[in-house]
Amino acid sequence: MSLMQENEIKFYCPQNINELDQIIKTSKEKLTFVAGTTDLMALEHEWKKINNLVDLNCVKELSQKIEIQSDGILIGAAVPMSGIINHSLIKDKFTILVEALQQVGSEQIQNRATLGGNIINASPAGDSLPVLNVLNAQLWIGPQKNGEFEKIQVSEIMSGPDETTLKTNKYIAYVLFPFPEGENLFWYFRKVGQREALAISKLSLAVLGWFKNGKIENIRISAGAVTAQVKRAIKTESALINKELNEKLIDEARKSLEDEIAPITDIRSNVEYRKQICGELLRDALFQVKLEN
Amino acid sequence: MKIVLIVNRKPYKINVEPKRRLLDILRDDLNFIGTKEGCGKGECGACTVLLNGRRVNSCLVPAFQLEGSTVITVEGLRNWKVFKPIERAFIENGAVQCGFCFPGFVISTVSFLKEKSSPVTLDKIKTAFGGNICRCTGYTKILAAIQELADQKDIIDQIQEDWKNEFNARK
Ligand SMILES: Cc1cc2nc3c(=O)[nH]c(=O)nc-3n(C[C@H](O)[C@H](O)[C@H](O)COP(=O)(O)OP(=O)(O)OC[C@H]3O[C@@H](n4cnc5c(N)ncnc54)[C@H](O)[C@@H]3O)c2cc1C
Ligand code: FES
Ligand code: FES
Repeated sequence: MSLMQENEIKFYCPQNINELDQIIKTSKEKLTFVAGTTDLMALEHEWKKINNLVDLNCVKELSQKIEIQSDGILIGAAVPMSGIINHSLIKDKFTILVEALQQVGSEQIQNRATLGGNIINASPAGDSLPVLNVLNAQLWIGPQKNGEFEKIQVSEIMSGPDETTLKTNKYIAYVLFPFPEGENLFWYFRKVGQREALAISKLSLAVLGWFKNGKIENIRISAGAVTAQVKRAIKTESALINKELNEKLIDEARKSLEDEIAPITDIRSNVEYRKQICGELLRDALFQVKLEN
Repeated sequence: MKIVLIVNRKPYKINVEPKRRLLDILRDDLNFIGTKEGCGKGECGACTVLLNGRRVNSCLVPAFQLEGSTVITVEGLRNWKVFKPIERAFIENGAVQCGFCFPGFVISTVSFLKEKSSPVTLDKIKTAFGGNICRCTGYTKILAAIQELADQKDIIDQIQEDWKNEFNARK
């Protein structure tokens, strides 16, 4: 382990997960985990104040590992997004994830930004969040207890804009993406922003599901940057499951989603606009699905 | 803290404040002033450099993550044979006015053309250069310059060769 101390600032560069966990166990201070620094350094004042840093890039398991397992793909929380975008199996099996990450900032940002940082930043504008939600992604939280990571769903750590419930000195080690159970998968991701690149997304919608015998067997819907928490739209989902997709149903789903979501109001756009656009996006998504099936 | 990093093929041993930005190290400590600061927040791309072969915003990279890294700035690209033709394409298309964004655009150009998947469409170029802002030209001429470069096989071959010389030769 290497520890660097300079003017009351401490830097840790753990070489593996055990060293990382050891640092956390012996530390009395609040630690700041550092990954791609695209959020941390963009806020200059905050950045100046941080003085106990743990660089997750040093931990190769977290910053490099993409592992195919029998039930899904395990991705280190500190792997840069471009590493995920350019992974051929992920492109093939989790196209919706690649599609969403390609819309984060710019390529310069994607070469540094990580999933862990995107989740913890927990801005409702986080582009990965709705997609992680519809993919049922599982977060592995450290430090390990008895050699095991704690495993939770994304929705369990979101508490509000810019907030997560992840406790002090806990970190995201991995994100597990289970292979979706269905065949004939359909998916949709759309981000409505101010400018194509670099826009803080005003609104995004992720939809994933599959058909069986002409009916929707399962569908998951999650909107980003709409509510303070990035939640699944469970009511709207149930209104669609086991149904045949037709124009009437699509219109009902649109209305249902508009009622179900409670948009936040901030400078980026007003309530009515958000509700409407969200409903329209779902309509667009379902029409596209209908055309393709 | 003491770190060693290689900038434009030359190793530097420097003593820096750990949270110092790569941008400041390049401009103020090592005098590579080709790299520019626009926004300081990752939005404009004027500070784009190649870090271990990938383009990043140097305003968002801290010193403590740089130990042993390789950095190429626009000055370093002057060693590349392809630099002249890129410069010419930009000038001949009228894609440079004040020139402030140019260093960032050139770094993004070599990075884009190295990874390019054919055919190169205007949409692909727009997406790939979304992180580079120009406040003078209105982009049309920049896009034309990049399209022109992307369509020339000898340029693409030259980039591959320059890239190999830069990154593989010294491993
Ligand atoms: C110009 C610009 C454009 C952007 N555009 C977008 C966009 O379009 N969409 C979008 O969603 N985001 C965008 N972002 C935000 C940012 O790039 C992402 O949120 C990114 O994923 C953050 O990851 P990082 O590794 O850089 O995080 P860091 O800056 O390293 O960390 C961010 C926060 O997460 C914590 N953290 C990081 N990793 C972990 C971990 N594994 N466990 C526990 N805590 C951790 C840090 O302590 C810190 O609080 C943009 C940022 C910039 C500067
Ligand atoms: S100065 Fe770094 S992106 Fe603008
Ligand atoms: S030429 Fe002036 S900013 Fe691009």
